[in-house]
Amino acid sequence: MTFQDALLLARPEVFLAASTLVLLVWGAFRGDKAMGEVSIGASLALFVAAGFAAVSPEGTAFAGGFIADGASIFGKVAIYLISPVAIYLGDRWLVRVGNGRFEFPILILLAALGMGMMVSAGDLISLYIGVELQSLALYVLAAFRRDDPKASEAGLKYFVLGALSSGLLLYGASLIYGFAGSTHFDLIAKSIEGGATGTGVLFGLVFLICGLAFKVSAAPFHMWTPDVYEGAPTPVVGFFAAAPKLAAMLLLARVLSEGFGTALEQWRQIIVVTAFLSVAVGAFGGLAQSNIKRLLAYSSIANIGYALIGLSAGSAEGMEAVLVFMVLYMIDVTGFFACLGALSRNGKPMEQLSDFAGLARVRPGMALALTALSFSVMGLPPFSGFWAKMFVFKAAIASGQWPLAVVLLLGSVVAAFYYLRLIKTMWFDAAPGQTDKEPLDAKGVAIASALFCFPVVLPALALLEPLAKTAALAFGLK
Amino acid sequence: MDLQAIAFYLLAAVTVISGFLVITARNPVHSVLFLIMAFFTAAGLFVMLGAEFLAMLLIVVYVGAVAVLFLFVVMMLDVDFTQLREGFARYLPIGMAVGGVLAVEMVMVAVTVAANGAAGKNAAPAAPVADLPNAEAIGRVLYTDYIYFFQAAGLVLLVAMIGAIVLTLRRRPGVRRQNIGDQVARTPASGMKIVQIKSGEGLSE
Amino acid sequence: MTIGLAHYLAVAAILFTIGVLGIFVNRKNIIVILMSIELILLAVNINLVAFSVYLHDVVGQIFAMFVLTVAAAEAAVGLAILVTFFRNRGDIAVDDASMMKG
Repeated sequence: MTFQDALLLARPEVFLAASTLVLLVWGAFRGDKAMGEVSIGASLALFVAAGFAAVSPEGTAFAGGFIADGASIFGKVAIYLISPVAIYLGDRWLVRVGNGRFEFPILILLAALGMGMMVSAGDLISLYIGVELQSLALYVLAAFRRDDPKASEAGLKYFVLGALSSGLLLYGASLIYGFAGSTHFDLIAKSIEGGATGTGVLFGLVFLICGLAFKVSAAPFHMWTPDVYEGAPTPVVGFFAAAPKLAAMLLLARVLSEGFGTALEQWRQIIVVTAFLSVAVGAFGGLAQSNIKRLLAYSSIANIGYALIGLSAGSAEGMEAVLVFMVLYMIDVTGFFACLGALSRNGKPMEQLSDFAGLARVRPGMALALTALSFSVMGLPPFSGFWAKMFVFKAAIASGQWPLAVVLLLGSVVAAFYYLRLIKTMWFDAAPGQTDKEPLDAKGVAIASALFCFPVVLPALALLEPLAKTAALAFGLK
Repeated sequence: MDLQAIAFYLLAAVTVISGFLVITARNPVHSVLFLIMAFFTAAGLFVMLGAEFLAMLLIVVYVGAVAVLFLFVVMMLDVDFTQLREGFARYLPIGMAVGGVLAVEMVMVAVTVAANGAAGKNAAPAAPVADLPNAEAIGRVLYTDYIYFFQAAGLVLLVAMIGAIVLTLRRRPGVRRQNIGDQVARTPASGMKIVQIKSGEGLSE
Repeated sequence: MTIGLAHYLAVAAILFTIGVLGIFVNRKNIIVILMSIELILLAVNINLVAFSVYLHDVVGQIFAMFVLTVAAAEAAVGLAILVTFFRNRGDIAVDDASMMKG
């Protein structure tokens, strides 16, 4: 393969990197008043990159370190399309709180670039670089409001635990390299197939899974999630909860299926335990929360648990379920955080559950959107969350993972309680007072994603399912 | 015991001991200095392995940049460090016990990997590949197969730079800064005033 | 007695354990926690270089180079976040008087 061919495969990322540099220089010269322009430029760059990714040829480049296949293209298009929403919401929100700085869209762009590298990683080195590019940008974004003590504490906690998890991931990667003799996923798979799966490589795999489990915030590596969700700026959290989770999930799926596809029985046990713990922690931990952002953190832990159930199926059907689930969840959670970003009372954001009392009378539109989104995350038919869980459930049954399918149902029932509590508070409690007028941007996104949950999801699913099906085949599992 | 073994045990012991002192030192400045020592002796281990280039890199990057950054921050932040050691004595015994068990396990895993892994099959350390010096051998692969990731690593450093600036750079009001543009644009007309002074009277503002 | 791969891996394993231990023992002292993370990364680098030499494969050293680069970037971001935290709180203790639970 010539260098030109390799560049053609990596065209979305190369384009993103080039536009980041141009926008950065533009912002540096024009100062913070250029934030709007840089945001528009960054969003356009992401749309173009999504277009490039959609028409990208398939193949591997850079000595196998870069893979462009169905799964990576699927992931990239989803990530590059959801990131502009985060830029749009964040840009408006930061301007409102008087902290508009042009670095915000640049950092989102770099994080999206890191995620693009993650989903097309073909060896341990590209895995590490992609993960770190993404994580470093996210650490800074978490602490972006530097005058807010809560935000900088959130950033610090996220950073310390994130750096520790990268250390674990790396130690695992080094053991795998030494044991298998290569950093490439396909060569690792070959060496495992050739010899017996020794303790060394399994030990390395456990470390690697620990590191990635942290990035998707799966239990027992979820400790950072509630704190960071509560402290970090709301639109940034909306971004955290969506695209990086999809990228890390796809990366995990790729490592396990391509690098360790021959050791399926071994890693399946680890994933099953993690999935079970995540669902349990997410469902029961959320019950005690009175802060909506913390509640959503626990909800995201539970949802990652559901996605891991799909992964543990270890089949093409399971991978398809993971892809569909993550995309639908991404849209749900973006809508949720858009609602939180939109609602405030006397200039103070509404974050406690009690703040939402009587919202249906004061702001019926927002209450309706929140209700639809809650029904969706609960998994009530015919909302999008129901279809997402349906895919996972079917895949788990088909691969004989009965206990996990039952766990999924039980977890959903327990978690339904806290969404119902939110709905009851909004519709039946007395309102403590007027809320501020919600800004158009966040309201628009919230209502759009609520409409996606139902009824747009039905035609969208007809489009999404075949795409996810072809993408899932790229993992090479049956 | 040959010379190589003596050198190895010396370097390894110093690395491990200074690593331990990093986490137990009372004064964080000492911690940073022990960190530097650990990196220095680890560079010695790299040289023994035949990876000279990385050894030099370790010293340049860590001792030259990272450790200085740490020292800078430790000295800049006016923190009462004795207060931060609360609970240290409480955690230490149990930490040591758990750590000891963990260390034994990790060493056992490492020995297993060394014995069974692909790396263990080649008993002797490699001679330099095809007579290439270490730096050249790295360069030939780094700038060809891994060029994409090399550039991406540059972006990682860019993120760090943007992050550090976004989080810490503040424009303080009331601080006089040099403005080179203004200085260059000064003309005699704007910079000087010619005053005629009558003899014996002086000049009053 | 010849020095083999296992010796280097053992040093790395001990350093790794020290790093992990350092994080759990110095719970409040963020600066020492950051240094412990650097120790963990040093252990990883020793592993990678030792494997690279014994595998006759230069890729391990390239991996170690990337780890060094990223570790430097990580230290810069970590210390920057620490400085903002200090400016807001006048202190770097995370646990006590924490505004957030957990």
